[in-house]
Amino acid sequence: MPKKHNVLTTALAVAGCKLTRNALHLFRKGGTTLPGRVAMFFDRDILEVASRGMDIIVVTGTNGKTTTSKMIETALEDAGLQPLNNKSGANLLTGVTAEFVADAGFLGQPKTRYAVVESDEAALKQIVPLLHPKVIVVTNLFRDQLDRYGEVMHTLEQIRIGVSECPESTLCLNADCSLTSSLADGVPNRVVWYGVNTPVGSQAEAAVSDARYCIRCGTEYHYTYHTYAHLGGFVCPHCGYARTAPQVAVEEILRTGADGSTVRLGFAEPDGSRSTCTADIALPALYNIYNAAAAIGAFEAAGLPRADILSSLTKISSSFGRMETFDLDGVPVQMILIKNPAGANQSLEYLCGLDEDFQAVFCLNDNIADGRDISWIWDAEFERLCESPHLKQITVSGLRAEDLQLRLKYAGVPEERMTLIRDNHAIIDQCRKSTLPVFILPNYTSMLSLRADISAVTGKDEFWKG
Amino acid sequence: MSTVAEPTLNICHIYPEVLNLYGDRGNIRCLQKRLEWRGLDCTVSELKLGEQKDLSPYDLFFIGGGQDFDQAVLLEDLRAGKGEELKAAVEDGKTFLCICGGYQMMGHYYETHDGQRDEFLGAVDFYTVGGDTRMIGNYAFRLGAESGGSTVVGFENHSGRTFLGSGVQPLGTVLKGFGNNGEDGTEGVRYKNVFGSYSHGPILPKNPAFTDFLLTTALERKYGSAVLEPLADRFEHEAHDRVLERVLHEK
Repeated sequence: MPKKHNVLTTALAVAGCKLTRNALHLFRKGGTTLPGRVAMFFDRDILEVASRGMDIIVVTGTNGKTTTSKMIETALEDAGLQPLNNKSGANLLTGVTAEFVADAGFLGQPKTRYAVVESDEAALKQIVPLLHPKVIVVTNLFRDQLDRYGEVMHTLEQIRIGVSECPESTLCLNADCSLTSSLADGVPNRVVWYGVNTPVGSQAEAAVSDARYCIRCGTEYHYTYHTYAHLGGFVCPHCGYARTAPQVAVEEILRTGADGSTVRLGFAEPDGSRSTCTADIALPALYNIYNAAAAIGAFEAAGLPRADILSSLTKISSSFGRMETFDLDGVPVQMILIKNPAGANQSLEYLCGLDEDFQAVFCLNDNIADGRDISWIWDAEFERLCESPHLKQITVSGLRAEDLQLRLKYAGVPEERMTLIRDNHAIIDQCRKSTLPVFILPNYTSMLSLRADISAVTGKDEFWKG
Repeated sequence: MSTVAEPTLNICHIYPEVLNLYGDRGNIRCLQKRLEWRGLDCTVSELKLGEQKDLSPYDLFFIGGGQDFDQAVLLEDLRAGKGEELKAAVEDGKTFLCICGGYQMMGHYYETHDGQRDEFLGAVDFYTVGGDTRMIGNYAFRLGAESGGSTVVGFENHSGRTFLGSGVQPLGTVLKGFGNNGEDGTEGVRYKNVFGSYSHGPILPKNPAFTDFLLTTALERKYGSAVLEPLADRFEHEAHDRVLERVLHEK
């Protein structure tokens, strides 16, 4: 039930938010938290007013939030629908509030019809009761930033609380993730499932699984096939909890490459029939195939035409630091955000599949936004790096560069092939002088700072070579 | 008469499929590599839920941390017989490295803050009480002289507060951070050759002196004496010193 709002406090909240935001812009500070706080000081639930009547898609989950949101946004933009979004990465309540209030009229009335909101997993329960979203997408659950949230199960329960506040929302869930799937248990929501129907990779059991035992009864799952990490065809032999056949299914991966993938999609149509089509996704790696399937499911669940997003995905560009490419004096540089073992393993898999010589730069910070605990690097399969004959040189950087260096020593990288460079500009210089393409794999805050410095010297924004 | 065989250490990783949070596998890799780099052999076996094995061939046991969700499953398994065998191995002087949840598991019980008590193994004299706040962060402690006396850096993340009984020693003294309970300045436990700690990180790679102390303890128990050749450890010391410096200078 929407809460009551007073016109005066609403107007004050909006004015306060806009003024603070303008003041911050004047001083060239990009902060989104303070304007949100100011707005909420006057009206704690101002977000509900500023989003009333809008068609909103909220995206949460451990990995792929940013890219999935970007895919949905781009499809809306390409269809001329200009969605509101929180692109700046402010995915907590204050940041989301600031985006909506700043976009609203002086009495808090929304001016935009559509919005795509990336939500932090723990913040979902604060955000969605105010947004009343049409669709909530949950991409997956992996161990990530454990010091902030405790543990994977805790994160899942946070999301479950958020979902329980929104019985009217359609859920768009990853059918291959047994943790995410459990969000459909005992809730009245309509569910659109997406997933990959086909095995991918070696089919070896993940050495470290985030979900080995049935969430309902504790029995070890059987898998009919694996895709990556704990994703795949899970079946509980005891209680029967199992993967649901998805309405949006990747039936076959026809091609993968550095410039993207081609897949065959199968759809369970509302009239009970099935249809298939071939789709190009202009971003590489398996996790972007998942992100695309999530985006398609969400787009359709919001009542928008499938053809629009399929055409948009053929030319989707990377988002901030996620497979983003730069040109440094003719040297191609690609930045791949890694922040947890599941994502890092997929990125290492991508690197090992390259068939030309390259150098790699790994950056690891342990600021609060990264999660202070960096021990996940011991769960990522850096050993795979030694399989590639094309990896010629490795640089380590960031506040915890020494930990990375030690991890890579254990992975079998010879000490003399590693260089520790703390300074971003020294890294940029090294990239410029490189005769090989450079892949930079930073975690979150090291990505932000490196990306800012690279953008400053290239003097332009991101671009993507298709 | 026993031949002068190459020393071999048999390592047993207990419940690797459930107690595997926070990069704890790095500890196993570290034990293996530090032996391998010296040309010494080791075997690593896993002891999973529902498995019954003779524990007598094993010299060094590792138990890591886990999620609360999984803890119930393994308590049941411990009560089915494995617990008694592990206690016997402790009393027999076998070397144990127990981290976080695996550390708590060695004590008498865990009492949640609403008073519900889970009976644990009771192999070592201490207990743990659930708290409202998590004790999280990089931290450092100095090992007691009986555990080698070196400085250990790691990352702690626990809401349980552990209190040691009279018959056991702390593993070390907190230099910065919370340790066992945030109150008494102790960290971890040392009882016979059981080494318990809250330190994730994983604990071993960055703390080579402690790792070598564990290996030496296990080798001495098996062969009577053991001298490990020193290793270069440049990256190990750099990683250790970097964290120590940051921990000591963080506000």
